[in-house]
Amino acid sequence: MLINYTLIAVNPLAPLYTIFMNAEYFFGLLLFLLIVLMVALLTERIEKVRRLRTLNSELTRETVKLEDANNELEAFAYSVSHDLRVPLRAIDGFSRIVIEDYEKDLDEEGVRLLNVVRDNTKKMGQLIDDILLLSRAGRQEMKISELDMSSLAKNIYADFDQDTKGRTVIFSVDDIPRAMGDRALLTQVFTNLIGNAIKFTGDKDISKIEVGFKDAKDDNIYYVKDNGAGFDMKYYDKLFGLFQRLHTQEEFQGTGVGLSIVQRIVSRHGGRVWGEGELDKGATIYFSLPKNLD
Amino acid sequence: MSLDEVEILLVEDNPTDAELTIRALKRKNLINKLVWVKDGAEALDFIFAKGIYSKRNVDDLPKLILLDLRMPKVDGLEVLHEIKANEKTKRIPVVILTSSKEDRDIVESYKLGVNSYVSKPVEFDEFIDAISTMGFYWILINKPPSEVPHGTD
Repeated sequence: MLINYTLIAVNPLAPLYTIFMNAEYFFGLLLFLLIVLMVALLTERIEKVRRLRTLNSELTRETVKLEDANNELEAFAYSVSHDLRVPLRAIDGFSRIVIEDYEKDLDEEGVRLLNVVRDNTKKMGQLIDDILLLSRAGRQEMKISELDMSSLAKNIYADFDQDTKGRTVIFSVDDIPRAMGDRALLTQVFTNLIGNAIKFTGDKDISKIEVGFKDAKDDNIYYVKDNGAGFDMKYYDKLFGLFQRLHTQEEFQGTGVGLSIVQRIVSRHGGRVWGEGELDKGATIYFSLPKNLD
Repeated sequence: MSLDEVEILLVEDNPTDAELTIRALKRKNLINKLVWVKDGAEALDFIFAKGIYSKRNVDDLPKLILLDLRMPKVDGLEVLHEIKANEKTKRIPVVILTSSKEDRDIVESYKLGVNSYVSKPVEFDEFIDAISTMGFYWILINKPPSEVPHGTD
């Protein structure tokens, strides 16, 4: 009976026990699933970190490569500025010494030939200087400040007094707004544009050069306009090309680097350069600068 | 000429540049007491009377040192540093004569106490003009301290 009793006594608990057992099983299962999930998440996480690390080290490698390339470029520019000038000076100097010291032994043609050598060394010297300017315009660190564009343009024009001496030049600067930019670089922009305007109006009786302004939504648009030799719009795509020239050396001297420098500097400021021209009527070169420079 | 009464010490590794420089200085009659050394190491030997110049009197200092920047062995900036770090030699006017127009060379030279920095023009007339004017100024117009102190001891 005792056994029976016991059985009876146990039996009422049996469903509970089953539920408890099921619950334990359920929680166990839940725990197991949770662990599986966590392991899966963790594995994924670890995988992600690993991938990130690989990407990171790849990036570091690329950065080092880029730095190497930059240093190489810097070393190249340095070498150009120093090493290429030395032989050039020797060629120019010694041709001149021959003219000086052997004047009586040389006929007119001999002197002319040596002067051809000297003219070309001068051109190459100019080319080296311009390439260096271009490289510097691209790599020089920018210090942004507010600039009085009107007095900048006027001062630069005044620096060209040697080139405008004896000529009739009407130079005007409109009421143009200030700009945010790097002083040295934007000085270079105006130097090249105003210098071009002075050069290409060289054979006009009266040269007219105007520095003006147009308002746009987000940009200030400045321009330098002249009444000089201009250019044919059908060659417009060559206007800003490096070493591209739209005039012969006999017409106007130059290396074809000036507008490339302008374009590089303006684009570093987040702006744009464009132009319009007509042959023998003149040219206008525009450049835009963002009103708010971040 | 005795090596003890040198007026101009020209430090230049490139013989053609040296010849052009000497030719320019000749126009102002400045080459009678000029010594040309061919690199930075030789320049230091000369200035401090060492090596092949050990018989020279170390107290007789040149009146002017014309220094190129890029030279084999010891470059111009190192020579400049040695000259300006030494109590005895730091008052000698040093002029950098170089083809480089790089800002960092100019900044570094002035940091080390250079007295003048001349970028050699490529064009011959400009070159002759720049060098002869510079030599004339430092040798004949500039007034150096009359007594060069003999060290601090």
